[in-house]
Amino acid sequence: MFGTATPLERGLIIIGFLCLLVLPFVITNPYHIHTATMIVYFAFMAASWNFVCGYLGQLSLGHSVFSGVAGYVTVLMFTQLGISPWIGMLFGGLLAAVLSVAIGSLTFRLKGPYFTLTTIAFAEIMRIWFENTDNFIGIPLKGSEGLVVPLVGDSWWAFQFNDKTPYYYIALGLLLMIVLATIMLEKSKLGYYLKAIRGDQDGAEALGINPTKYSLIALSISAFFTGIGGAFFAQFFRYINPERNMGIDMSIDMAIMAIIGGQGTVLGPILGAFILHPIAEITRTTLGGSFLGLHLVIYGTVLALTVLYFPQGIIVPLRRILARISGRAKK
Amino acid sequence: MSAPLLKVDGISKRFGGNQAVKETSFHVDSGEILGLIGPNGAGKTTAFNMIAGYLESDTGDIQLNEKSIKGKKPWDICKAGIARTFQLSKPFGDLSVLENIMVGGFVRSADRRIIETKAREVVVFLGMEAIINQDALNLTAFDRRKLELGRALATEPKLLLMDEVVAGATPNEASEMVELVKNIRDRGVSILIVEHVMHVIMNLSDRVIVLDSGNLIADGNPEEVVNDPEVMKAYFGEKYVQQQST
Repeated sequence: MFGTATPLERGLIIIGFLCLLVLPFVITNPYHIHTATMIVYFAFMAASWNFVCGYLGQLSLGHSVFSGVAGYVTVLMFTQLGISPWIGMLFGGLLAAVLSVAIGSLTFRLKGPYFTLTTIAFAEIMRIWFENTDNFIGIPLKGSEGLVVPLVGDSWWAFQFNDKTPYYYIALGLLLMIVLATIMLEKSKLGYYLKAIRGDQDGAEALGINPTKYSLIALSISAFFTGIGGAFFAQFFRYINPERNMGIDMSIDMAIMAIIGGQGTVLGPILGAFILHPIAEITRTTLGGSFLGLHLVIYGTVLALTVLYFPQGIIVPLRRILARISGRAKK
Repeated sequence: MSAPLLKVDGISKRFGGNQAVKETSFHVDSGEILGLIGPNGAGKTTAFNMIAGYLESDTGDIQLNEKSIKGKKPWDICKAGIARTFQLSKPFGDLSVLENIMVGGFVRSADRRIIETKAREVVVFLGMEAIINQDALNLTAFDRRKLELGRALATEPKLLLMDEVVAGATPNEASEMVELVKNIRDRGVSILIVEHVMHVIMNLSDRVIVLDSGNLIADGNPEEVVNDPEVMKAYFGEKYVQQQST
């Protein structure tokens, strides 16, 4: 992030982060805090997706399976075994990582649309299986009805808060974590290798890179973070069901936010979430009642325009403008 | 005499009904530039891909420093010390020249600073300092070739396989490439080069081997080989050879 950033960009990033940090002191309306939390959460999810897909240049539309599975693990460990969701979250993330290696070792043989289709297939198989399974070897999954996290009141141990603010800060902490992880990736051997595989697979192999191995390493890290996000999502709403937590809508949101913002960059996916989620939220609340479905039309238009005019993501023209401003300032 | 660096022993490849390479054996000595020539479809690239691990030989064995590398994957062969370039260069488009070369370096070390220092040396060696931070996508065809060579060098190979490095280059560029290849050899890297442009082969090679329809038909120093009737027949046909002798 700071590698090639100009002083102006660094300044803006730091100001942006400070704004996010003090936000709950400025806005007090619980609905606004809720929306802010969702924006930060989606930024985290888009960045987790970007960790493998953005750098590898492969479009996965099945990432929701990792968030869903980890969410279920967290909730079930809490309700069945009384284990704190903080620990459940880690277990869920690890299970998602293991699952990702199983799925990835099959899907990474394929490229382009075929890869995308198989990722959708795996995620949908899991979702449909969860929706139709009430009880799996004694584990009550409760099918499409979903699971409710029992209310225990304000408790850090149980990951439950009466106020929305703690959730907001947890989401912000997660976002900071994925940003740091992505910065490390950019500077690491793994990051260079992923970009090389994206550039040309044969060329990468000739330089000693085993594409499947390094794709799987990156995918498992990405799945771990996505799983953590899924666990957070379940705790935030104290409810989990296959449709919301594992459905294809969530996968598409993650991918689109990252692509619109700028995939394969540290801050692009975050930018994407900060632009798209508010648009979705505002159009839904202001137009959702009167013109049913109009918010989706506006959302779709924004997507189409961005893809047409900024195919590499909004972050590219934005950085160009910032570079021009700081260039002028020097003169 | 010491054992050869690379020993190719009876390798074959059949694609359906087409026997691309037939029981071919040759070797590359340490510090040698070996030219591999032959008419189109002679099996040069197939032989090349079998050594580099992109195809597995149906028969025989391939040894690097007396250790078999047959059936190994391209990345393991790179680690063993064989680097290659491609007939159509394959740069990582959105990485800069320096980053492209650094990718090659990671196979020998995970320390980014060491790799960057070494990659900068390679850039100087190639004379690409002026475009070090340009994206590979924006390079000329010849600079892409040089970049690919640089990437291969960054893996610190013992043997470098080069596939048609001057195809499409201007005469000036071709002679620059010839100088580069000689300099690479002087750094202690042995080279197996596949090339169509005869004066490049004649200039560079210590020894030349000729493939025709999957068979090895000649092996010797460049002057001997180009005057070999078998080789002339392969390139120009039976009639030409008969005319020459009468």
